[in-house]
Amino acid sequence: MTEKLGKIADGLLSGNVEEVSNLTQELLDDGTDPEEILQKGLFAGMDVVSQKFKDCEMFIPEVLRSAKAMQGAMEKLRPKLSEASSSKAGTVVTATVQGDLHDIGKNLAGMMMEGSGFNVIDMGIDRKTEDIVNAVKENKPQILGLSALLTTTMPKMGEVINALKEAGIRDQVKVMIGGAPVTDDFAEEIGADAYAPNASIGTEKALELIKA
Amino acid sequence: MASVRTNYTINRSPRFSFLSEDQKETIFHGMLKVLQDTGADVHHEGAREIFKKHGCKIDGVRVRIPPKLVRQALQCLPLMTTIFDWEGNPRIYVEENRSYFGPGPTLVYYRDPYTLERRQCLREDATTTARVCDALNNIGFVEGLISISDVPRGTEDVYEFADMIQNTTTPIMAWAFHRGGAKDLHRIGCIMAGGEEAFKKKPNYILYSEPISPLVSDFHAIDKLMYCAEQGIPQDYSPCAIGGATVPATHAGQIVVALSESMVGVVLSQLINPGTCIILGGVQAPLDMQRAIYSYGAPELNPLCGGLTEMARYCGLPMFGTSGCTDTKTMEIQSGIEAALSIHSSMLTGANFVHDNGYTESGKTGDIFQTVMDDEIIGMARVIEDGLDVSEESLALDVINNVGSGGHYLYEDHTMKWFRKHWRPSLMDRQSYEDWDKAGRTTMKERIINKTRDILENYEGPINKVPGEVRKDIQQVVDDAVARVEREGL
Ligand code: B12
Repeated sequence: MTEKLGKIADGLLSGNVEEVSNLTQELLDDGTDPEEILQKGLFAGMDVVSQKFKDCEMFIPEVLRSAKAMQGAMEKLRPKLSEASSSKAGTVVTATVQGDLHDIGKNLAGMMMEGSGFNVIDMGIDRKTEDIVNAVKENKPQILGLSALLTTTMPKMGEVINALKEAGIRDQVKVMIGGAPVTDDFAEEIGADAYAPNASIGTEKALELIKA
Repeated sequence: MASVRTNYTINRSPRFSFLSEDQKETIFHGMLKVLQDTGADVHHEGAREIFKKHGCKIDGVRVRIPPKLVRQALQCLPLMTTIFDWEGNPRIYVEENRSYFGPGPTLVYYRDPYTLERRQCLREDATTTARVCDALNNIGFVEGLISISDVPRGTEDVYEFADMIQNTTTPIMAWAFHRGGAKDLHRIGCIMAGGEEAFKKKPNYILYSEPISPLVSDFHAIDKLMYCAEQGIPQDYSPCAIGGATVPATHAGQIVVALSESMVGVVLSQLINPGTCIILGGVQAPLDMQRAIYSYGAPELNPLCGGLTEMARYCGLPMFGTSGCTDTKTMEIQSGIEAALSIHSSMLTGANFVHDNGYTESGKTGDIFQTVMDDEIIGMARVIEDGLDVSEESLALDVINNVGSGGHYLYEDHTMKWFRKHWRPSLMDRQSYEDWDKAGRTTMKERIINKTRDILENYEGPINKVPGEVRKDIQQVVDDAVARVEREGL
């Protein structure tokens, strides 16, 4: 079993989507504790991946391949995880706000979060405030990730936060924001819970947010 | 008597070439295939109807364009367009092998000319950019380097253009949010030209819109394109393609996608108004796969923009290139290295409009100091582009014989006549150690700052040549824009 867990970690590192998924299934079939697969296999592997990324030994496409492998395994694992641990690897809804068509940064942030075990539901670009609020109501994510790359669309992020308040669900979700003109000060000003200047910090902050 | 030579080929400007004729044909066929098989999304019903009427396959928002239609559109392109200044003088000849350099559009921050810190962009920065560019010899067109933060939201485009055009006679490459803003800009352009008819004869600005990689034209971009085609406004339809992220990581793949995206606009513009001027190109750079930034200083920018320039020429289209930009956060050696490489290579590939001179922090901070430095580099690159003349006069065999061996050329009339052709620096230091020491030991950075501030404080600029009633008319357009946005929203 420990051997297979090690192999999962290796598979993640080399971004072998199929192998990681198969190994996860095999371990589940063998009756291994899902929590153990998550901690000692998947998280252990992704920890190495993020360290290697920080050390400039791995690059974005490689990390995203690992994240994809992680996501494949999570699909198998998620239904088997207890309440407590499944909230640990929670759900994130991401969207680019209304009037804004930039998406590659938001996509990157979402994919990286998938690599940390989050279930990411991407709403795409140019999304109306009410649609975003509805998606929060429907999917009950732990985190809402908003992206805006234009000074003209940034205020929409504040609008979403206000709409969440009006809908009475502001305290059920943490809001994290990002994009070229966004700053820490702006996040504070509109009452967001976190600001991320890039995708990897976004993932770190997402993990902190769900711990808090 | 000068000897007459027959079949004498002159190599006037050196040209840098990335692609062979075969490779260009292959990429061209790749583009035709992408447009025919993959197609592109066009989020504009009116545009799709035009495509449909001309035999394109429409599937939802996806438009697939038959090769024949692309070829027909390319047949319609104008051979040459001239852009004038608002005084009516020809300033830009949009034709093969003429390069003009300018800043870029809409950054998040502006480097304050006095504190040197990056900060929110202010309305006054539009005037700063325009005046400084007006004073610079090697800047051929102007963009603002700003997204103004202190005017009513949604009118930034109109304020910027209104202020800039009065502060420079150098033609402006303008931008607008929507058709509404584009119309306001056009009113201003016409007022400056002296009426709509005058503008038609002597267009004085160009409008810039962008498709979205990969292969998407959003409603507003295509709507502005249609408006320009209808009005005969010269325009530019160029993506910011991100290698490895929104387009393939390989250069040929990036070029074929970028070319295809722009071609959607080219075809539509020629269907609406055959012969209207349209430019393609854009920012072509990779995503830095470690830092997740779109790298404006990457060396890959050069083969990418260069290759696309050659493809544009192959299609008979003018090219919107990119140069003089950097990933640095402050004026430093790297800023100069990156700028010099991209300016040199744009010059030698012969891109027509080369923008983003003054883009720093990977497209986040507009820096007029960078533009001032780039102006000097452009001047140097022009010397290289001017190439080498071999003629009886330049060969100077008689003079060589006169001077003989030993001696010098300083007294020669030939020297008197030609030494002025040598390039003179305005920023580069060539002083002796002692002179440099006495003159305050300045560095490039200090000289750039001094030159920029000197322009700001002492350069008159054309503002006083704008008649009072013209100013009033322009103010009216601005007021109308504010009312429009209040009424209709952004
Ligand atoms: C590529 C690009 C485009 C492409 C977008 C293609 C696409 N598929 O996304 C196109 C050509 C369509 C485009 C259009 C426009 N653009 Co644009 N664009 C850019 C550019 C050059 C790069 C953006 C990018 O993709 N960077 C790479 C990614 C990986 O980085 P990123 O987006 O910043 O994301 C990272 C972080 O910010 C963060 N992050 C981002 N979102 C989120 C969300 C969450 C939840 C988290 C945790 C983190 C996070 O993590 C990401 C990864 O590390 C920027 C310049 C810049 N430096 O940002 C301008 C820029 C954003 N654009 C700008 C402008 C003005 C426009 C236009 C108005 C231009 C015009 N004249 O028409 C239009 C607007 C269209 C619209 N309505 O949205 C300005 C904005 C200025 C301002 N103050 O508002 C910029 C800053 C500069 C410029 N001059 O081009 N653009």
